[in-house]
Amino acid sequence: MAEPKTKYDRQLRIWGEQGQAALEKASVCLLNCGPTGSETLKNLVLGGIGSITVVDGSKVDVGDLGNNFMVDESSVGESKAKCVCTFLQELNAAVKARFIDEYPEKLIEMKPSFFSEFTLVVATQLPERSMVNLDRICRDANVMLVFARSYGLTGVVRLSVKEHTVIESKPDHFLDDLRLNNPWLELKRFSESIDMNVPDPVAHKHIPYVVILIKMAEEWAKSHNGSLPSTREEKKEFKDLLKSKMIGLDEDNYKEAVDASFKLFAPRGINSNLRQILDDNCAEVDSRSSDFWVLVAALKEFIFNEGGGEAPVEGSIPDMTSSTEHYVSLQKIYQAKAEADILVMELRVRNILKKIGRDPDSISKMTIKSFCKNARKLTVCRYRLVGEEFSSPSLPELQKYLTDEDYSMAVGFYILLRAVDRFAANLNSFPGQFDGEMDEDVSRLKSITVGLLTELGCNSSILTEDLINEMCRFGAAELHAVAAFIGGIASQEVIKLITKQFVPICGTFIFNGIDHKSQILCL
Amino acid sequence: MDACLFLMILNVCFNELQADDPVVSDDDYGKMIKLFKVKEKQLADNANGKTLIKKQTAGELRLHKDISELNLPKSCQISFPNGKDDLMNFEVTIRPDEGYYLGGTFVFSFQVPPVYPHEPPKVKCKTKVYHPNIDLEGNVCLNILREDWKPVLNINTIIYGLFHLFTQPNSEDPLNHEAAAVLRDNPKMFESNVRRAMAGGYVGQTYFQRCLS
Amino acid sequence: MHTDIEIVEAEQTSIDCTMADSTANSRTRDLDKLLLRPGHLIGPNFEPGPELRDDLQEYAKVLVIGAGGLGCELLKDLALSGFKNLEVIDMDRIEITNLNRQFLFRLEDVGKPKAEVAAKRVMERVSGVNIVPHFCRIEDKDLDFYSDFNIIALGLDSVEARSYINSVACSFLEYDSEDKPREETIKPMVDGGTEGFKGHARVIIPGVTPCFECTIWLFPPQVKFPLCTLAETPRTAAHCIEYAHLIKWDEVHNGKAFDPDNPEHMQWVYTEALKRAELFGIPGVTYSLTQGVVKNIIPAIASTNAIISAACTLETLKIASGCSKTLSNYMSYNGVEGVHVKVTEFVRDKDCLVCGSGVLIELDASVTLKKFINLLEDHPNLHLSKASVTHQGKNLYMQAPPVLEEMTRSNLTRPLFDLMGQVARDTVHVTGMMSKNDKKMSGLRKLRVVFKGVDGVADMDSAGSA
Repeated sequence: MAEPKTKYDRQLRIWGEQGQAALEKASVCLLNCGPTGSETLKNLVLGGIGSITVVDGSKVDVGDLGNNFMVDESSVGESKAKCVCTFLQELNAAVKARFIDEYPEKLIEMKPSFFSEFTLVVATQLPERSMVNLDRICRDANVMLVFARSYGLTGVVRLSVKEHTVIESKPDHFLDDLRLNNPWLELKRFSESIDMNVPDPVAHKHIPYVVILIKMAEEWAKSHNGSLPSTREEKKEFKDLLKSKMIGLDEDNYKEAVDASFKLFAPRGINSNLRQILDDNCAEVDSRSSDFWVLVAALKEFIFNEGGGEAPVEGSIPDMTSSTEHYVSLQKIYQAKAEADILVMELRVRNILKKIGRDPDSISKMTIKSFCKNARKLTVCRYRLVGEEFSSPSLPELQKYLTDEDYSMAVGFYILLRAVDRFAANLNSFPGQFDGEMDEDVSRLKSITVGLLTELGCNSSILTEDLINEMCRFGAAELHAVAAFIGGIASQEVIKLITKQFVPICGTFIFNGIDHKSQILCL
Repeated sequence: MDACLFLMILNVCFNELQADDPVVSDDDYGKMIKLFKVKEKQLADNANGKTLIKKQTAGELRLHKDISELNLPKSCQISFPNGKDDLMNFEVTIRPDEGYYLGGTFVFSFQVPPVYPHEPPKVKCKTKVYHPNIDLEGNVCLNILREDWKPVLNINTIIYGLFHLFTQPNSEDPLNHEAAAVLRDNPKMFESNVRRAMAGGYVGQTYFQRCLS
Repeated sequence: MHTDIEIVEAEQTSIDCTMADSTANSRTRDLDKLLLRPGHLIGPNFEPGPELRDDLQEYAKVLVIGAGGLGCELLKDLALSGFKNLEVIDMDRIEITNLNRQFLFRLEDVGKPKAEVAAKRVMERVSGVNIVPHFCRIEDKDLDFYSDFNIIALGLDSVEARSYINSVACSFLEYDSEDKPREETIKPMVDGGTEGFKGHARVIIPGVTPCFECTIWLFPPQVKFPLCTLAETPRTAAHCIEYAHLIKWDEVHNGKAFDPDNPEHMQWVYTEALKRAELFGIPGVTYSLTQGVVKNIIPAIASTNAIISAACTLETLKIASGCSKTLSNYMSYNGVEGVHVKVTEFVRDKDCLVCGSGVLIELDASVTLKKFINLLEDHPNLHLSKASVTHQGKNLYMQAPPVLEEMTRSNLTRPLFDLMGQVARDTVHVTGMMSKNDKKMSGLRKLRVVFKGVDGVADMDSAGSA
């Protein structure tokens, strides 16, 4: 049956068969199925998530028809969870969809064990107290959690996972792993085998820039006590030297060499991000360590031994002007080195597994291979419990955001989103939720906000009246367009967490629907 | 729809937009949004039939500039098979006045895309030619037609580039592999192959139509 | 019904816009918070109140261009954001690969026109919304059609289509004698685009913010491999595929055009590419990659489309109602590593041929084209010599090449008024040599030509011009 694969073609080009398989295995629970929740699930159901469970205790009322696409006239008075679930199911028959007609707050309070069966919980429109409680429950049960909330023209998305490790982070731009400044023997030999002064102009303009740079670097090092260009002047001099070797004006390979010379000037060894991961306490592994950290432990050994300070070679090279023959040869040299590195890594992984009392074959060759290929791009995300963030946010960060113009509106919303929950906890409704008491609500919200800021140890005069007024005007409205935005972000983050590809939001995403200067706050 | 309804909404939503308002700064969007007033104005225009005329795209205008500034050598001529108002499709005839291809006549078709100069024109050689950089299907290997195209380049540059291909065929970037090899290894033979092809005849297995004038 | 009565009461009793909680249980419960209440961070012409909400529903007409990944979302979002008069135009039919994100379509819809199915599905779900579908090309519609809309929302995937709609929307734009855009002629656009986890949303207010053409450089041209690389030194799988597609196909098929939607053609290219790859020892040719390279397939997912469309809809609502400040004027989105949202305020190209004011020139109706060309040379703002003149796609006079000069020479002695179809005012474009600070350089300028003494005609023909 070719249909499912064709249907998912445009996303398979992004996260591949493996990512898709992970999605199809996952079970996601949604708390509250207003537009924010419905839109989040819509995007996941379309993508072929394994199963969904919609939890909502409310009935559909007329107001819901104006902001939720997953209900219609016939739904009014019916269970919202049931209606939304039915419409979601229509989008993709391959997804298992079910609903529970119950208020999420009740489940959080009465039946915490309910959540442990899911891969991930998406909790929408939850007030602070429920967020804090649910977060504890999911953390203990090792269930991933995504909070999403739309509120007037603002909103928030916050992930909560004890630790999320990514092998395939797939960054947009990343320095190619060419080892120009630290070539291994075979690469050096290959470079030496090519004559830079070949008289045939066709051959001359088809020497790959990798070879040009390695040879020129060696020449440079000979006359500079073994070191490579490091100062601005030296780098310029080096580039001029490269240009002087051109014999025709249209030698693209030399132009590429000049453009790529920064790859040669880059420092040897591993980047600071990887260094940090190697130095993490978790890299000291025992029987309870995850596969990821076992692999990191092996990587650490590799780098200090066989790697000579370098991670395993990635093995792929970018396209460059070259004869087919040279290019294919180069490709093979890089691949062979990558495979040799993988073999060494595999040995080390198996040894470590044995040492910590695990089955030496419990990590697959494929995983080791992927880990080696992505070793320089590993990512670890850790999330504070929201309760901790709420009671003791990073004060320096908070102060920084409050005084940074780019962040001021976003951090204002962050504070106000907390303030409205306090407001609601005290007064049983959100500020401006009902018409008629706007002025009183504004001053109440203002004093709550001032109180909150003082409690956090911040200068309370920093929030503008305008923003407080706007927040009251919003009156906890869940606008469809805002919900679609927040739901879009939430579903994207769910996909990243489940596929273990790309890098999820590390912090709190604050949507700014006024001028779109949305920000991530790391508190 | 009824025009007076639009007046109503105008008054309701946008009655701050009166002429006696102070001048609003340029980037103040708000003043612009007399959305619903557009209607009456255009109804009147339509009655005139004016708005039915096709509008020129930015690409056509830029091409108009390129064409009106053409400065071609005598050996290059341009023609417009669809008349003076379709500049997007034209032909260029090159009659090299020196080199291997002296005496030949070579016709190129140009198709200019609507997003010109964001994208380069599509150029094909309509005359079958024995040439290292032009294949037997008329594909041309000229960097500025593909990988090196930039919006600052123009039609004149392309025509000069094509002209250049005939005065200095280049064996280093071959599209016709055999022709390139002969040019590199045996220029005398290349020359006689070119003469034979232009006179109408076979080079190897390939027949070339006469293109000598 | 109960709620309706309360709304009516509220409208009757409240003079200002602060409502009793009358709309708490109406269909517009949430939107009302934004549309009925005064705000602090709002557009300059925001007039909150039930009339605003009702007028938006009744009179605002929005055209959605494209019923694909963005278009489906836009229709849903607009229908749930207070707009009730929508139209959608799309020339495509539903394909199976659309289903992972174009949520208005089902497996059984494959092959049906996107615009029609999308309109039907949204109308079924959201009562009171009217969506008129147009299953055709954007070029098939005349300017009347486009002039009918207050705002145009673009959910397109090509530079070409954007450029076309932009030129249409900007063609309505008129400037007054002080080169200020005339408000009633402004046709705002919101534009979205996505690619994988990345996207952009922007607001184009012609005459005020940069138009698509002012910033066309934002779209990188498509990567094109040199043909000789394909022919001689292929290195990657894509090179092998493009060789089969661009060179080998023509060689073998003797004039038969390649059709990317024909699976047999695609299979042929794949097989040829594979052979070539094996010949050169190049790994990585797959059928999926072949399709991707040949059709220039851009990966697409539901979440990014949802995010970008939502931003576009929010801006549409703000432009129409003034209920909040607007995006100024370009938002780029990247969800690859965390989420990065960046807002950039691009500036207009004052000399933009599409949205610029051009230079106002007043002429007697008797002025010949030759006289007009001479006048340009002496014009204080132009000093443009050797002008070639074009008007709405007709080349009135071309200085070069000789073949066109000959064809247009006879126009020189005719009155420009006649050559321009005897309209009181219109735009012409001229090319020539301009002198600026004693430097000569070639230039292309937009001119707004107004004929004196034909005002009577003008008043009749285009009411509202002042």
